Amino acid sequence: MIARERRLPRWLRRGGLPIGGLALAYLILAPLTSIDAAQQAGLPLLTDKLWFRIATTVAMFVVMASAWNIIGGLTGYASFGNVAFFGLGAYTVGVLVSSRGWPFALALVVAPLVAAVFAVLVGIPLLRLRGHYFAVATLGVGVAVGEVVNNIGPLGASTGLFLPIVRSDLLFFYLMLAAAILAVVTTWVILRTRFGYGLLAIRENEEAAAVIGVNTTFYKVAAFCIAAALTGLAGGIFAQWNSFINQENVFAITNNVQMILMAVVGGAGTVLGPVAGAVVLKLIIETLAGGGSAAVYSQIGLGVLLAICVIFIPRGVIDFFGGRSRLSLRYLRQTLRETSA
Amino acid sequence: MSQFTQQIILGLLLGGIYVAVALGFSLVWGILNIVNLAHGALVIVGAYITWLLFDRLHVDPFLSLPVDALALFVLGYALQRGVINRVIRAPLLFTFLLTFGINLVIVSLVLLIFTADFRSVTPSYSGNGLHLGSVTIPYIRLGGLAVALLLAGILWAILNRTRIGAAILAVGADRDAAQLVGIDLRHIYALTFAIGAAFAGVAGGIISTSQSITPTAGDPYTLQSFAVVILGGLGRVSATVVGGLAFGLIEVLGQSAPGLGSGYAGAIAFVVLVIVLVVRPRGLLGRLA
Repeated sequence: MIARERRLPRWLRRGGLPIGGLALAYLILAPLTSIDAAQQAGLPLLTDKLWFRIATTVAMFVVMASAWNIIGGLTGYASFGNVAFFGLGAYTVGVLVSSRGWPFALALVVAPLVAAVFAVLVGIPLLRLRGHYFAVATLGVGVAVGEVVNNIGPLGASTGLFLPIVRSDLLFFYLMLAAAILAVVTTWVILRTRFGYGLLAIRENEEAAAVIGVNTTFYKVAAFCIAAALTGLAGGIFAQWNSFINQENVFAITNNVQMILMAVVGGAGTVLGPVAGAVVLKLIIETLAGGGSAAVYSQIGLGVLLAICVIFIPRGVIDFFGGRSRLSLRYLRQTLRETSA
Repeated sequence: MSQFTQQIILGLLLGGIYVAVALGFSLVWGILNIVNLAHGALVIVGAYITWLLFDRLHVDPFLSLPVDALALFVLGYALQRGVINRVIRAPLLFTFLLTFGINLVIVSLVLLIFTADFRSVTPSYSGNGLHLGSVTIPYIRLGGLAVALLLAGILWAILNRTRIGAAILAVGADRDAAQLVGIDLRHIYALTFAIGAAFAGVAGGIISTSQSITPTAGDPYTLQSFAVVILGGLGRVSATVVGGLAFGLIEVLGQSAPGLGSGYAGAIAFVVLVIVLVVRPRGLLGRLA
C-alpha cells in the first residue's frame, strides 16, 4: 500500500497537498462565519444548521472508517463489531455525564479508554479467529453488547439515556473534526512505523509474519485497541452532541457496515481512502435519506449501493486514481471476470 | 422436576425451529463458502407468504410450506445467478457486504409491502397441546419440529442420493476439479443457494406459527443460524440437527437462569459462539474445518 501511494499521478501528487489544504482550511474557517461577531463584520454566512449536522456526521464517519481501516484494512481482520466500541464510548459519556454529573470533557477522556479496554478483553480470544469466523464473532459482539446494555436499568434500559443539552454546533463540529484528523494522522503514523509494517505483514501472510518475528497476537490486539479507542472517542462525542442515546442509535449494525463500505470503496489499507469513502458515501446516503417513509428508500438505496460497489469496484476508487487502472468499461469487465463464477 | 422436563421439551421444540433455519444457511456456507447475511430476510419472506395465504385464503400454515419453498427457490436461484455469482471468487468480505446489502433491500421491500405491523398466523389449533401429566407440548411447535426433521431428511437425501447432490458436494469439495469433470458451476451455485433459500422459506413458514412477525423479525435468525452451525459443526446435515436442538436447549435453559430473560437471546447466542469457537472450533460433530 505504501508503494502504491508513491505511484500517484503527478497532477494529484502536486495538486493533492494544496487541494487538501484548501479543503481543510475551508472546514476549519467556514464555521467561524456563523459567530455573531463575524456576522456583524459583514462576512457571508457559509454554514447553517444543516451544514453543521451533515459536516459533523461526515467527520464522525471519517473517524469510524479510518479506525476500521486500522484493523480491517491494514491488519486484514474484517471487524463487524466496531459499532460496539462506538456504543461503549457513547454510553460511557452518557452515564458519567447524566448520572454521575461529570463534566463532558473529563468523560470524553474516559470513553476511548473504556472502549480500548473492552477491545483488549474481546480481542484476545476473537483475534485468534479468521475470515468468516472473526467477522461473525465480532458481529455477535456488536449485537450482544447492545442487547446487554438494553437490559441494564442504570443504563436507561430500553428507554435510553438523556444528556443535558449543549447547544453549540461549533463545538461539536470542531471536536469531531479534530477526532477525524487524529484518526487520519494515527493511520499515517502507523503506516510509517515498524508497527505498521508488522500489521501489513500480518495481513499478507500471518504465518510468515510470525516467522520473521512479528508478535502477531500483540500487534493484532494493539491494532484492535487503537481502532476501538478512536471509535469510542467518536461515540463519546456523539452522545453529548445528540444528547440522547439508546441501543438503536449507537449500536446500529448498519453503521458498522457503512464504515466498512466507506473504507473498502475508498480503498482499504490506504491513509486517505477511508476519508474519501466516508465523505462521498455519507453525502450520498444523507441525500438519499429523509424522514418517514423516505427512510425505507434510503435503506434500499444503501443496499443497492453496497451491491454496486462490491460487484464493480472491489479494489476501491483509490485504485483508479492510484495509477494502477482507470475507471473504464474495460476495467469493470475485467473486474467482473476476475471475481465472478 | 416437571418444570425442568417442561423446559427441556420447550428447548427441543425451539431447537426444531433452529434446525429448520440453519439447514439452508449451513448448506450455502459449506458449499459456496458464503456466510449469507440475507438468510434472515429469506426466512421472513417465507413467513409473510404463509401469513398472506392464511390471512387471505385461510390456508393452513403447514399446507402453505410447499408454496414458501417454491417461491423462495425461485428467488434464491435468481439472486445467486444474477447477483451473488458475480463476486463468488472475491474475498469473503465482499460476499459479506453484498449479502448484507441484499438483506437491507429485501427487508425494506417487505416493510413497504406489508408495513411494520405485527402479523401472526393463528390456526384454530394454535392454543392446543398434548398434555402428559403436568407437561404440555404445543401441537404447533411439535409440528414445527417434525417439519424440521423432515427437512433434514430431505436435505440428506438430496445430497447423498441424487446426481444433483453429488454435483453440489463435488463443487463444495473442489470447484476447479468439479468444473473439469463437466459440472456447470454457475448452475450448481445457483441451485445450491436456491435450495438453501427454499429451506429458509419453509423455516419462515414454521416461525410465523409460533411468533408474531415483522419485517425485521428475521434478522436475529442469521446470527443464530451461524451459532447453530458453529455449535454443530460445518459440513454435515446431522451436525446441524444436533447443533440446532442443542442451541434451542441452551437458549431456553439460559433464559430461565436467574437474572436473565428473553432480552438476552442474542447475547446467549454470542456467548455460545465464542465458547465453542475457542474451545472446540470444529463444533460438536463437525469434520475438520
